[in-house]
Amino acid sequence: MAEWNAYYRNEDDEEEQEEGEQSGGMVTGRDSLVFLVDASKEMFIKEEDGKPSNFDMTMQVVRSVYTSKITSSYRDLVALVFYGTEQSKNPRNSFKHVYVYHDLDEPGAKRVQEVDELRGSKGAQLAAKTMGSGETSLGDALWCCANLYSDIKLRLSHKRLMIFTCRDDPHEGDSVKDRQGRTKASDLRDTGVIINLMHLMKPGGFDVSLYFRDIITPPEDESDLGLQLEPCAKLEDLQNRVRAKEKKKRVLNRLNLCLGEGINVAVGVYSTAVPARKPPPIKLYRETNEPVRSKTRVFHTQTGSLLLPSELKKAQVYGKKQIVMETDEVDSIKKFEDPGMFLIGFKPMEKLKLHHHVRPAVFLYPEEDDVKGSSCLFSALLKRCSERNMFALCRFTARRNYSPRFVALVPQEEESDEGKGQITPAGFNVIYLPFADDIRTLDAPQLPCASQEQVDKMKQIVTKLRFKYRSDAFENPAIQQHFRNLEALALDMVAPEDIEDLIMPKVDQIDTRLGPLVQEFKDLVYPANYNPETKPAAKRKTGGAEKKPKVELPEDELRAHVQNSTLGKLTVPVLKDACKKFGVRTTGTKKQELIDALIAQYFTKFML
Amino acid sequence: MTAKSALVLCMDVGFSMSNSAPGEEPPFELAKKVIQKFVQRQVFAETKDEMALVLFGTDSTKNPLEQDGQYQNITVHRNLMIPDFELLEEIANQIHPESQQADWLDALVVCMDLLKKQTEGKKYDRLVIVLLTDLCTQASPDELDIIIDNLKTAGITLQFFLPFPAGDDEEGGGDGDRGGSGHPGAGKGLSREQEQGLDMVKHVMLSLDEEDGLDEIYSFRNALEQLCMFKRIERRPTAWPCQLTIGSSLSIRIVGYKAVMDERLKKTWITVDAQTNKRDDVKRETVYCLDDDNETEVQKEDIIQGFRYGSDIVPFSKVDQDQMKYKHDGKCFAVLGFTKQSNIHRHQFIGNQVIKVFAPKDDEHAGVALSALIRALDELNMVAIVRYAYDRRCNPQVGAAFPCIKQHYECLMYIQLPFMEDLSHFTFPSLENKKFVPTEAQLSAVDSLIDSMMLVEKDESGEQKDMLKVHHIPNPAFQRHFQCLHHRAVNPGTPLPPMEPWLKAALERPEVISERCQAPLEEVKRKFPLTAVEKKKQLKTSAQIFGKDTGEPDAKKAKGDEEEEDYNLADIAEGSVTSVGSVDPARDFRTLVKLKSLPFGEVCQQLTHRIEQLLSNKNTHYYMKSITCIQAFREQSVKLGKADLYNSYLQSLKRSIPNRGLEVFWDLLVQDAVTLISKDEVEGSTVSKNEANQFLITDEKKEEVAAPTTEDTGDVDDLLDMM
Repeated sequence: MAEWNAYYRNEDDEEEQEEGEQSGGMVTGRDSLVFLVDASKEMFIKEEDGKPSNFDMTMQVVRSVYTSKITSSYRDLVALVFYGTEQSKNPRNSFKHVYVYHDLDEPGAKRVQEVDELRGSKGAQLAAKTMGSGETSLGDALWCCANLYSDIKLRLSHKRLMIFTCRDDPHEGDSVKDRQGRTKASDLRDTGVIINLMHLMKPGGFDVSLYFRDIITPPEDESDLGLQLEPCAKLEDLQNRVRAKEKKKRVLNRLNLCLGEGINVAVGVYSTAVPARKPPPIKLYRETNEPVRSKTRVFHTQTGSLLLPSELKKAQVYGKKQIVMETDEVDSIKKFEDPGMFLIGFKPMEKLKLHHHVRPAVFLYPEEDDVKGSSCLFSALLKRCSERNMFALCRFTARRNYSPRFVALVPQEEESDEGKGQITPAGFNVIYLPFADDIRTLDAPQLPCASQEQVDKMKQIVTKLRFKYRSDAFENPAIQQHFRNLEALALDMVAPEDIEDLIMPKVDQIDTRLGPLVQEFKDLVYPANYNPETKPAAKRKTGGAEKKPKVELPEDELRAHVQNSTLGKLTVPVLKDACKKFGVRTTGTKKQELIDALIAQYFTKFML
Repeated sequence: MTAKSALVLCMDVGFSMSNSAPGEEPPFELAKKVIQKFVQRQVFAETKDEMALVLFGTDSTKNPLEQDGQYQNITVHRNLMIPDFELLEEIANQIHPESQQADWLDALVVCMDLLKKQTEGKKYDRLVIVLLTDLCTQASPDELDIIIDNLKTAGITLQFFLPFPAGDDEEGGGDGDRGGSGHPGAGKGLSREQEQGLDMVKHVMLSLDEEDGLDEIYSFRNALEQLCMFKRIERRPTAWPCQLTIGSSLSIRIVGYKAVMDERLKKTWITVDAQTNKRDDVKRETVYCLDDDNETEVQKEDIIQGFRYGSDIVPFSKVDQDQMKYKHDGKCFAVLGFTKQSNIHRHQFIGNQVIKVFAPKDDEHAGVALSALIRALDELNMVAIVRYAYDRRCNPQVGAAFPCIKQHYECLMYIQLPFMEDLSHFTFPSLENKKFVPTEAQLSAVDSLIDSMMLVEKDESGEQKDMLKVHHIPNPAFQRHFQCLHHRAVNPGTPLPPMEPWLKAALERPEVISERCQAPLEEVKRKFPLTAVEKKKQLKTSAQIFGKDTGEPDAKKAKGDEEEEDYNLADIAEGSVTSVGSVDPARDFRTLVKLKSLPFGEVCQQLTHRIEQLLSNKNTHYYMKSITCIQAFREQSVKLGKADLYNSYLQSLKRSIPNRGLEVFWDLLVQDAVTLISKDEVEGSTVSKNEANQFLITDEKKEEVAAPTTEDTGDVDDLLDMM
């Protein structure tokens, strides 16, 4: 049991490591995103079939981006600006018909609430009352947004502006305004702002080429102009499209894929699936709720003087001996080679075993900007591996002072949905392979196999419960609940909003769908008196709640255990007791930690 | 409860063991190495296995059976106990070739006696005697059969290690290893005693195990090859009993085991005082303080926890958090539904383990039911999507249970799948771009490269052979870790050894491939022009500037490099200096001050941070660089008329000099007359000209007394915090 717990601890350790990587890595400065939303009358037109208006849909998307920023990257800055309004509200009130609802800032609970107020028919009323619909000048709106950016004192690493509109000719032929809009857009783009268009349904179709093609930032890749994209009619599409753009793809690191002497392909490593976790708590001062800073000092127990890193060493205890190393030696042990990937050879795909899984995969894409020609060689390798159903085996050192791992580069071809954009990009998925140490030997029990009749019955059950799995179908209930709780506290709500636990089996539905099949299957495999819910012939369980008497451990016995390295025989409670009794400081709860602590104590007290 | 084994190492140290042909290592040395390696492995694997050491051929006699001139020249060196460094040291220092000879069968009897007596009343799942000898002594076969019988009844396994391979006629024996070619002594005429001895050994071994008995006879060299690896980390699989449920009324009893797991080292480093090597001399203390000018300290009791909700920080006590957090019913393995295997993408696997799910071994009904599910999934090419929760304390996951049918068993394999929150959908430009599409000639170059580098090939019999099974290679990080620990334990005070050659080789391309791919690689090189895009700044990593000869440890350098790279990349992205880098901090500082893109205070902080980094190197080269930084700091401060930051930094730096042993640096600073900014230079300064001039003159005596008591000296963090 302890082992399983150990695993969860390990996972946490890794988290820190990974977070460290990310924060200490390439990222400097904040990301920023401005929603520039058309507030003209056309945006509020309701569809007959009760579908939400374009405005309503946009607000839902804005809200979901706000909340997702809060959960995943709260330090990003977000703004919400309306154009084509009657009223004006902007920093120096120098622009008419531009309404800055939220200026660039970290999204918080209040902002979410304020966006909520703009949703639904009530929201439309509120919008009409506070902002109204009026003249349109995209040029002014973009200028105003430019000011929002320049007012920010922080360093921005990524600036994006999304225009939500259903009007493809915003100035209705006013060429002066058209030109002004184009100039301001190009000014913005020159300062590094990426302008995207989220065009919405309009009767007669949205013609991007009419005006907006000159406004938006041309896509990274000319062939995929984004222009041929259909306007978004469904909330889900809009959400997906916004989500795809909203996050900047962040390269974990850039390195060389070395095929051989002097053949280096520059590649970027991206992580596409990383377990999201609850953010760590922040320590606050009780009186004022302000965050406190922690300072850790290392000092000498006897003299009380502060110890510098150079006055410390690292140690481990093995075979009753404390082995001491310099701190930099500990680092140097971990170092094998400089970061990079080295091609070992190729293997057919069937040699990649499903169960050879030790950590989430990463994604590889060429970096033409680092080594010219990378994309071509990368593309050729990808193509041939894919056609020949092969993977490339590589040795991979992800960062400095990381030890190498073997990885399989599995080709992935580009897949696109007609008109809707990329589903999977072209590149290699990097699958981490286990070492011998990672594979455990298990004794598989020898049990009878099912007959074909039994298998067939189960097949009926399986077929009844088929569904199309989608990797983004399940939310993490623990994280969702956590943020709902915070939301409720932040907004002074009576109770947190309920979450739907999507990974709870829908038992009633399953039962109904299966009907008599379950009983039929059970009749086929279980004898009449068999109940899988209970343990067969309760074995060791005696006495029920009766607790084991506490075992005390005298000092000489402990000493003997230490000397004979038999501490492992003792149970965790006994070890904990021993730690307490002999004044051993330990924060650990794992058996090994307790043992280490006792041994360390032993060495300092008795031997040295 | 726990399975362990008892093992007796029985080594011949007799006179003949030190004989060797010129240029060859004597058998004694080889046998000693085998024992050393073996004990090392045991020590680092921290198994509970116990070990005893018996020597024979010793000048003296010390064993419980010695009587009336019987069992002479046999010494029980160490009784059965867990091996430790003491034993290793004894082997290294106390075991020498001696000048007597003893009967190896007598020694075997002593070992058997030892095992019998010392394992009494305790539970061991294996009893082993390992004999290392050259068989040069005449052994009396009189009691051979009695000995064999006793070995059998006691359930003792025997292993022989000899200087020569046992199977002279059937090269390499049955152990399937690389064969016995190149063994010194092999094929060479054995002495008559050795021949007789070998026959006896074979007789014993075959009587104990008719089929594989001879596999337990090893040659010293063979053994050394296999022992060069430290043991792989083995963990006892822990059973996780649960029920697989489909709906409310169908459940199947199951047991889960971790089958594949990203393994870590069990032990972590502890911090000790560099002088005393004692852990207890080091105390780590964390204090909390408000973020105000006075850094008001806050008591631990006055601290509550909160969480960030966007820009808000919400106080949320542990109690409330526990009460409100997501709760569930605990342990479960519940099917949500079934889906086509093709809907599951391997690169979306998450977590770091694979769990194999079996039916309990004593429940054949569960076995049949689970088998029906496994086979149904297998035949339909489907998987079960399940909710998996280890227990009530752990958050539930969603994952896929794959059917797995092997020759000897069936099971489900559970692997965690991502939640929506875990995924990031990135779009990348298409590679079908005209600029990048490879030509036919290029593709065929890649094809021949792939052909030449195929690691899986059919051999003559048409069977597929995998040249490199990476899951058979031990984790090199662990091997290196233990190698270094071992070195330090046995040879304290000497630098760490280089990586072992076998380990290096294990991580490389197989030699065959290396040779075969040379020509195709050249072709690829010709067909695909690759030119590194030169980036002005990236060329100047600190390593290149300072050179590899600074004597600075590699690891430290590496860290510097890494930072450097980050800053460089940021620079390239912005096209200008964005922070004070380590290459030319003074220049960066000046640029940043000019640019005004960051507040002056922050730029200063970045600069002082660099200065502290430089000073930590204690090297004149770095001192000079620090001084240029301080000069730049001063110059810009005067220019902007802001003296405070500079003055307070320099003052605190001065205070920290004695504690940090930076007197040499200070002298340099004095030579350059870099002093405080006085009122005369900047109006706001609180320092008079006289004070500024006095500042550089250190009152050494006074400082020395003051230094140890003032707590805030010497702490790098404090210096930075002041900014």
